[in-house]
Amino acid sequence: MAVVLQILASGFAAGAVYGLVAVGYAVVFRLTGVVHFAFAELIALGVFVTLYAAAGSGPVSQTSVGGVRFLLALVVGLVVTAAASAGSYLLAIEPYRARGSVIGWVGASLAVAFALRTLLQVSFSRETYVFPDPLPFDRVGAAGFWHVGGATIQARSLFVAAAAFVLAGIATYLLRATRHGRALEAIAQDYDAAVVSGLPVTLLVAAAFAVSGAIAALAAVLAAPSAAFDVDAAAAYGLYGLLAAAVTWFDPRRAFAAGIAVGLLQAAVTSARWGGVQLGGPAYRDVVPLLAGLAVLAWRSRSVREAVE
Amino acid sequence: MTATAAALAGAARDARSAWRPRSTIAVAAFVVAAFAPLVFGSSRIADLAGGLYLAAAAVGLALVVGIGGLPFLAQGGLMATGAIVSARLLQHGVPLGAAAVCGGVAGCAAGGAIGVCFARLPRPAFAAATWIVAWTFALGLQSLTWLVGGAEGLVVSARGPTPAQHYELALGLTALAALGFLALARAPFGLALAAAREREPAARALGVPVERLRAQATAAAGAAAGVAGALAVHLAAVADPASFGPYLSFRLFVVVLLGGALTPLGAPLGVLVLGVLSLAADAIGSLENVSAARSHTLLASVLLLAVVSLGWDGILRPAKRRRAAGGEPPLRDAHRRGLRAHALSKRFGAIEAADDVSLSLEPGTITALVGPNGSGKSTVLRLLAGVVPADGGSIDGGAVVRTLQSSGIFPSLTPLEHVLVASRERRRASGFFRSLLSTPRNRTEDAAFGAEARSVLRRFGLPEDVPAGELPVGSQRVLMLASAYATAAPVLLVDEPTAGAAPADAARMAELIVSLRTEGQALLVVEHNLGVVRRIADRIVVLDAGRVIADGPPDEVAGDDRVRAAFLGRHHF
Repeated sequence: MAVVLQILASGFAAGAVYGLVAVGYAVVFRLTGVVHFAFAELIALGVFVTLYAAAGSGPVSQTSVGGVRFLLALVVGLVVTAAASAGSYLLAIEPYRARGSVIGWVGASLAVAFALRTLLQVSFSRETYVFPDPLPFDRVGAAGFWHVGGATIQARSLFVAAAAFVLAGIATYLLRATRHGRALEAIAQDYDAAVVSGLPVTLLVAAAFAVSGAIAALAAVLAAPSAAFDVDAAAAYGLYGLLAAAVTWFDPRRAFAAGIAVGLLQAAVTSARWGGVQLGGPAYRDVVPLLAGLAVLAWRSRSVREAVE
Repeated sequence: MTATAAALAGAARDARSAWRPRSTIAVAAFVVAAFAPLVFGSSRIADLAGGLYLAAAAVGLALVVGIGGLPFLAQGGLMATGAIVSARLLQHGVPLGAAAVCGGVAGCAAGGAIGVCFARLPRPAFAAATWIVAWTFALGLQSLTWLVGGAEGLVVSARGPTPAQHYELALGLTALAALGFLALARAPFGLALAAAREREPAARALGVPVERLRAQATAAAGAAAGVAGALAVHLAAVADPASFGPYLSFRLFVVVLLGGALTPLGAPLGVLVLGVLSLAADAIGSLENVSAARSHTLLASVLLLAVVSLGWDGILRPAKRRRAAGGEPPLRDAHRRGLRAHALSKRFGAIEAADDVSLSLEPGTITALVGPNGSGKSTVLRLLAGVVPADGGSIDGGAVVRTLQSSGIFPSLTPLEHVLVASRERRRASGFFRSLLSTPRNRTEDAAFGAEARSVLRRFGLPEDVPAGELPVGSQRVLMLASAYATAAPVLLVDEPTAGAAPADAARMAELIVSLRTEGQALLVVEHNLGVVRRIADRIVVLDAGRVIADGPPDEVAGDDRVRAAFLGRHHF
């Protein structure tokens, strides 16, 4: 019971972030037919710009940055991420998508990913970074933890899960209930018809890139204080988000659920025991979800055959 | 002995006929490169050998990316497979040659498995899947310490070839990989793979087994990567898990696009250019205190962005392909079979697209299938072609091939190559390995089918060597018919052959279809131009709301009141 609670608590928090990243991949794919391979690096950009705006390049502790300053830094981080995400679409993806060159946009988005990754590694050269936490979770429960039914639950992980759900709800509202959201749905249904009907398609898609990048970065910023952060941590968010989006054929709602499933599976592999024997362990927490996702993808691909006409 | 000598003489003759000035340059470059150990020191030669192993793996990748058009992002993982298998075997005292073969087999198996699992996916999803595979390899190697020896990796004994010998080995392996690429790209295997790259539905309609070919291509890429990884690990004396991350797959992708994915020497040239520029990047990076690994990553990213931004096909472009003339065309099957469909039905939700449809296509007859829009003509055609399964009824008869309603040509392939793609299924000695090795039987068959293809093109009045995308629309439609004819299927299903055609083109198409009837071909033509239908058809089957409402000779059908009603009295036969 304690193990199940532990898995649920930690799995939901990580999985909800993966889910939000997966929603970003899925929205972008449905609008453009493009897999944005630089999404993880854009998330890393958001987190590092927020960190830099909040605390500069010097050492930082979890409690060294106050609320207002952090909020301002967060705004700067999200604006930069949104601009970079829209810019990557306009400069590195749209030209090749319009030409119908799959190899072109795959190459361009990978190039942006590795260039951004390298620039971040050069600019933020320490091994890992502590991210400031503006919320006083250490005052909740026993120094930020609750002990429930033998499980130790981090208060901040519940906050991250709840915040991710709220962000997913906001994203759904934006897509479903707003004029721009419905315009994006029209673009997703038929790109060419949307162009012909006079919608400012390029602008709307660039805005969608910006918003989905910013939302994913916001989720990562909220989760970042839970553990040490580096470019590889963002890469993991991107990888598991991509996995969740791919196994659901880039359906935004299912992608969010699949992200949570990935998080839960990861937590289960890390913590699950059977009769006192550990089933997986931390060493397998990356490989097992990836192999499981690939197996699902391979199984689902059996039903795929592009229409003959 | 005599047979061997004759086979070698034949191979030399074929090589001479396909020889180009750029072939001379390539051979000269390899010969000059072979003398590099006399010029450079041991350390530099080891670097060059490492680069050449990378080039061999990249040539394999070029087959998938260039010829197959698939964004394959897991080649680094396949190199890792070969490297780990080889390192493990070398640690147990297995000789390097055997370890390299095992590494190649392991890479081939892994590449084939990736192809089998994901070749059906649309290309964006294929890119995503193979990228996840690349990460799985990388993270797996980092976490499975019992397999790869932890952070230190697997240390391999340095006994065996020296760096200079490795260099010659790597040069030979790269040359072999390039020759293999050349043989496969020119063979029906490569042509069919390229056809699927250009227009997958049209390739499927001609009977190209798209998934199987793509899986074979990824397996071949895996074999090249596996052998290269297996040998490279001995050269480095350690299998370091950190060196097989996703960046390796990215780097291989970059060199293929940089050098030219459609030519066998594009990838080696890409490695050379990236290597030379990396030396410059090292110099700049050292001034800025940036590590070599990071400056190389940045350089590769910028180069790739430049390549795709400029819309390059890479530094090397494919040469105009020349095929030796001569040879006797193979005999076509004189025994013609028709096709009988009985009580076919197909339902899509609430719509009965085909309801109790029976028809008979006899050899040497043209049957026209007509009906108003939405009457179920396309569904019946797809049922007969086996593209969609019927809910009920049965089909009895010979092989069926259909032409597509929309343009079904492969723009960058020549008409000759179209016909060779179409006749591929009839060949017996053009499988993957025979094509790779260019066996005497394979070359004899090549000549025979080449002669047949030329005669088909003459018969249909088409040129041989112009890219099909440059042909007039009317000729493109004729090419679709010629390709369908080249399959030698006894039954041809021709979907709207004159749609949108100028009167002269429509008349030419009608003549060609009639001429096929005289050869004993069974033809089913779906056509809206009722004037053409009346001129060419022996029988007309009329569909309305998924049911056959008339079936008989044109004059008889023309007088049928139900047919007039179905067409709202607007058309008269």
